[in-house]
Amino acid sequence: MSIGSPDSTVGVEDHPASAEPVRDAGMAHGKSPTRIAMDRLRKDRVAMICAFVVLFFILIAIFAPLLAKLEGGDISSFKPDLVDEYGFPTIGITSDHWFGVEPKTGRDNFARWVYGARPSLVVAFVATLFGTIVGVVMGLLAGFLGGWVDRVISWIIDFVLSLPYLLFAIAMVPIVENLRGGSFNLTPDEQASTRFFVLIFVLSFFGWAGLARIIRGEVLSLREREFVLAAKAIGVPTSQVLFKELLPNLVAPIVISASLALPAYVTAEAGLSFLGVGLIEPIPSWGQTIASATNWFKADPLYLWLPVLGITALVLALALLGDAVRDAFDPKTRR
Amino acid sequence: MLYFVARRLVSALSVVLVTLIATFALFFVAPTDPAAAICGERNCTQERYNEIKENLHLDRPKVQQFAEYTAGIFAGRTFETAGVVQKCDAPCLGFSFKNDRPVTDMLKERLPVTVSLVAGYAVLVLTIGVFVGSMAAKRRGTTGDRILMGSTLIVSSVPYYIVALMISLYLTILYPILPRGGYTPLSDNPGKWFVGFLTPWLVIGIYNCTQYARYSRGSMVEALSEDYIRTARAKGLSDRKVTYKHALRSGLIPVITIFGLDIAGSLAGAIFTERIFDLPGLGNLVLDSLQSYDLPVIMGTVLIASVILVAMNFLVDVAYSLIDPRVRLS
Repeated sequence: MSIGSPDSTVGVEDHPASAEPVRDAGMAHGKSPTRIAMDRLRKDRVAMICAFVVLFFILIAIFAPLLAKLEGGDISSFKPDLVDEYGFPTIGITSDHWFGVEPKTGRDNFARWVYGARPSLVVAFVATLFGTIVGVVMGLLAGFLGGWVDRVISWIIDFVLSLPYLLFAIAMVPIVENLRGGSFNLTPDEQASTRFFVLIFVLSFFGWAGLARIIRGEVLSLREREFVLAAKAIGVPTSQVLFKELLPNLVAPIVISASLALPAYVTAEAGLSFLGVGLIEPIPSWGQTIASATNWFKADPLYLWLPVLGITALVLALALLGDAVRDAFDPKTRR
Repeated sequence: MLYFVARRLVSALSVVLVTLIATFALFFVAPTDPAAAICGERNCTQERYNEIKENLHLDRPKVQQFAEYTAGIFAGRTFETAGVVQKCDAPCLGFSFKNDRPVTDMLKERLPVTVSLVAGYAVLVLTIGVFVGSMAAKRRGTTGDRILMGSTLIVSSVPYYIVALMISLYLTILYPILPRGGYTPLSDNPGKWFVGFLTPWLVIGIYNCTQYARYSRGSMVEALSEDYIRTARAKGLSDRKVTYKHALRSGLIPVITIFGLDIAGSLAGAIFTERIFDLPGLGNLVLDSLQSYDLPVIMGTVLIASVILVAMNFLVDVAYSLIDPRVRLS
């Protein structure tokens, strides 16, 4: 700090002229908007309960093998001795099978239930991650560069948003299976893993466009602000302007969009699996269990209710949490 | 105005054209073997395979195939199968070798089912949904409003197919309080037609009413705070007249926009309702075609659904620009 006269540097240390606010531990006005939103969220009781429910399911998914081992069951061993000649289970809830066994096959319900939480969460989180990254990058590029880049990207966004996504998801399945040599030439494992990637691909392909449109709109107004003009004027490279200057200002729309996408994707994954278009055997998934349980629901309601309650509780918690996150991040709502 | 409509029309047509190319590319150009897929891989004889390949002109260049497919949509084309020439009238969306008939005929057969379903749904959401929403807006901030809005949030957070499935299993099969779903053509027996659709309508209608109640509450709250509402109140109009004649008119505009897109989406997206209540509509057609790998049918349905969606998008935009001139400027 020896450049210029002593006067010109007075106070510079305390109040740097950059966009970054001074972060002083003891001062309340140094809070970032994200911090403020998190504080609001922590005070929201419904949001906290929902967060715990979501955490509970995440833990179940992570420790599924451990939980199954604890019970002593597994997802794939058939036990024909536990079902009668019509396929109805002969045992109820026992110490060996905490949730009973599956009709027809006699596989363990508890193990299949805890493992069933995995695809729901994995598909939803991965699809949200991909959708968010693509949406943010496309929105940033369209909004910041303008001109023909903007026109092309905006057209693609309109195009994706005007496609019937459920039908495309269904249509993608035979095409991708065909690409891999036809469904009859694939082993069940290969077919199941193909379905897994088709699901993630379809969900993220149709998920990015909405976010990209919002980000583009935000960037259009942000790029005329002084701090961006200043960064451009001193020759900061475009990529740095985009990701270092603009991105931190877009946290709110990104978090809101992701919190809405998560429950939607969990719903979509189980729904497609229910229709027989999503995950298939041998991967256990709640949607697929619901579909097969409809044939047994009178005699074996537990078999139906387990995945139904799992999916409902998870989606409800994610959706209400998302709603609370939106309220916390959006200063215009409620408060 | 004319310039706006023309611009929107060009953009809508470009989306349709690209969808056409994209679906064609997905089904016929990607390194897949449509002939094998259509023929079925388990009991497909070599002759049948070759026949399909020849009849679909799969041995010709892709561009020519695409030109033929597109020409078929506008002018119709013919297919030859097992020595019999089948005429496929315009709009020809391909030929289902599994069912031995043009895809367009199959779609025409299924469309009335889906349209009946969506029509009843539209009536329900526009009456009950909007009414509940405006009631809540009028009583904004009261306990009733809060309970109503809280419960709509919870209902709409539970996946739709779970609600529909549980109602179908428990209220129509185990305890038959509601009639079971099923399809009878309206022209055959209107009473039976109505009873068969009653449960699906109630389920899809009431579930989605929650969304509409939220939308219309939001826009009604805004409309009710406008200056002209205060003027209407000040000149002594009755409360009902102010709410339903003055506020509802402008409050409905955003709801109608969403409604237009939602109806188009429902035509393509009523798959869950059709599957759960066993209605032989477009969605069930696609799922059945998937079971039998009947690619031309899936392709035709995707194309038709996209065109409906794009057309609805276009109509909503034009209608909106007529109502609200500011839209044209953006």
